[in-house]
Amino acid sequence: MRKLLLVRYGEIFLKGLNRPYFLKALVERVRHATSAYGGNVWLHDGRIFVSDVTDMEACASKIARVFGVHSICFAVEMEKDSFDAICDQSVEMMRDLHGTFRVNARRSDKKYPLDSPKINAEIGERILRRCAQLKVDLHHPDHILAVEIRDFCYLYVRIIPGSGGMPVGTNGKAMLLLSGGIDSPVAGYLIAKRGVKISAVHFHSYPYTSDRAKEKVLDLARILSEYACGIKVYIVPFTEIQMQIHEKCPEEYSTLIMRRFMMRIAQNCAELDRAQALITGESIGQVASQTMEALQTTNAVVSLPVFRPLIGSDKSDIIEIAEKIGTFETSSLPYEDCCTVFTPRHPVTRPKPDRVAAAESVLDAEELISKAMAGIEIVQV
Amino acid sequence: MTERIYLDNSATTMPSAFVMACVDRCMQEAWYNPSALYRPAMIVQKSMDEARRLCLAAVDAEGEQCVFTSGGTEADNLAILGHLQRIRQKGRVLIYQSEHPAVTACIPEIEHMGFQVETIAPDHEGIVDLNRLEKQMGTDVVLMVIMQVNNETGAIQPIQDIARLRDQKCPDAAIHVDGVQGFLRVPFSMHALNIQSYALSGHKIHGLKGTGALIYQKQYKLAPRMLGGGQEMGVRSGTENTIGILALGEAIRTYPKEANAHMCNLKHVLYDALRERVPGLRLNGPEPGSAASAPHILNVSLCPVRSQTMMFALEGDGILVSAGSACSSHRQKVSPVLTAMGISPMEADCAIRFSLCYSLTERDIQTVAERVQSQYQVLAKYTRR
Repeated sequence: MRKLLLVRYGEIFLKGLNRPYFLKALVERVRHATSAYGGNVWLHDGRIFVSDVTDMEACASKIARVFGVHSICFAVEMEKDSFDAICDQSVEMMRDLHGTFRVNARRSDKKYPLDSPKINAEIGERILRRCAQLKVDLHHPDHILAVEIRDFCYLYVRIIPGSGGMPVGTNGKAMLLLSGGIDSPVAGYLIAKRGVKISAVHFHSYPYTSDRAKEKVLDLARILSEYACGIKVYIVPFTEIQMQIHEKCPEEYSTLIMRRFMMRIAQNCAELDRAQALITGESIGQVASQTMEALQTTNAVVSLPVFRPLIGSDKSDIIEIAEKIGTFETSSLPYEDCCTVFTPRHPVTRPKPDRVAAAESVLDAEELISKAMAGIEIVQV
Repeated sequence: MTERIYLDNSATTMPSAFVMACVDRCMQEAWYNPSALYRPAMIVQKSMDEARRLCLAAVDAEGEQCVFTSGGTEADNLAILGHLQRIRQKGRVLIYQSEHPAVTACIPEIEHMGFQVETIAPDHEGIVDLNRLEKQMGTDVVLMVIMQVNNETGAIQPIQDIARLRDQKCPDAAIHVDGVQGFLRVPFSMHALNIQSYALSGHKIHGLKGTGALIYQKQYKLAPRMLGGGQEMGVRSGTENTIGILALGEAIRTYPKEANAHMCNLKHVLYDALRERVPGLRLNGPEPGSAASAPHILNVSLCPVRSQTMMFALEGDGILVSAGSACSSHRQKVSPVLTAMGISPMEADCAIRFSLCYSLTERDIQTVAERVQSQYQVLAKYTRR
């Protein structure tokens, strides 16, 4: 008998002939997540097994961050021959619990002498007899004792939910525009959850933003990389571009023109990184540069698809996810972001694309962008 | 890399070469527990007594008490809360409005103890308004708390006048002075002014962080805030930080006699050079050279360039300064000290604090002024319209 983690996967079940491709990637991700705790990871019979790790709790919470994992069960593995021993172990696992319970048996070994209803009844009766504090409730139990009869018998009560989604790397690569605010890390998280490998681009406006602000963005990338299996961050020097816009372009268009430069540079970084799409944290109507017309104007300068997973989310919904994934606290640190000094008092909210283009035409975009690209610093987190 | 010029000495100072050598020596020799009975411990105890004597002598308080603490904050807390805990008669506590958070954060607890707290307002230079204070004084005042030098503006508070008014209006009231910024840099006499307690910190005078002291009159009532083995005459339990305490003594002993005159001169040079180079420079605090101006702190607003932008730009040039007070610069609020002086939020948002130390040279100061000027010329063009 030994204790191990039984990892269940979700959506991959729906895959057809290419399921092995996704499973291979998922096992690889789980193996990577558990590497700090030693032990063995293997796939068998529709489950991923993790055994002999140094710290089961910590290891399970790491696995819970792997996209593609539906849930993690703290299981006991034992020989299936002695049904008495299985019953005794079941009683042992339920002994300290209170309230109501149900036994949920399933057999993939169809030759096992007892069928699932009988296993449920037998073990349930044994528990009732020896744990007087527990009662049966088949519909809404407080605890479910799962009994899986495979090559061995697996028993578990405690299950922690995984992150869902698809294993990172199975659905291409995209470039996230990461600002240091609340929204963009959440946007990155949601796209990574669909199996997309993420890189990030950050625009740094020294001395309008400090090294601390840059470090904050890298910290956010580090938190995201726990889910996204490592992130390459492109830090782009952006001050020169902002100064030129401030000096030469009409104030009311300055944010939009700045956004257009950011999108162009992000696309260049995406090409360098072989990413197939851009990701932004925009949400419709949240600020002046996120109205329908403004989004159209900023979209117009890039040819890659732009993913905006938060487009229909309220700020409160976004904050809820940020809190769940652990980025909210870091995002809320008060270091200046590059926009404050250069924010116009009355930004245009319904821009006409041709007017923005005309306002921008006084700048030598190509030269400004190639200068910025030449100054890029790349940090792998 | 550009040579670094450090002008944030009010936040902390670099340990002096004497202090570093002392620490090195003490790590090898003075690590014994001074409460132990064997000879090496006794030697440590004697060295600590010498450090204590130096602290007392530095503020003309020979014969009074000195307990070592973990720094200025603990010393302030002990002096205020420890004293109020010991006195029966409930009354008013007057606290200077622009005190450091080590003092202001005590206010809720003071009120919880049953005392009424009133603030002492500053004037436009950040100096206690004596006329208003005189009106506030009365025989029900039990304690007044005033900082010797304001950490943001460098304004020296008129403690002599406050003590005189106290003697006339409320002779039973105690005065606690937060000397963290003033210690050694502004002469002080506890005996002459009849000051009941005085807090100081080691790392502001080229000693180590985590060291400080509370000096107080022998008859001054103090309840301990830290309970335990009864060290430091039972007022502050916990095994003494022997190395830090001896480093504090060394920092006092080796503080150069000419340091203050030298810093005073540098402050003048810096102010004049900046005034010449930055149009519309605004001085926040007393005029350099006046009796109320501490030798080491110069606070100016470089409108319209915001403090943080200038601070980061100067960092790129190897110059480290602070926006307002470093203790609160993470909070990104407009400094309440400056707004209390009637400075507009916009001007306060552009304030830079240059704080000096004795090892700087005139050449350093000229370099600083030149770099401020060149950054200002660029940054002033790119500010919010």
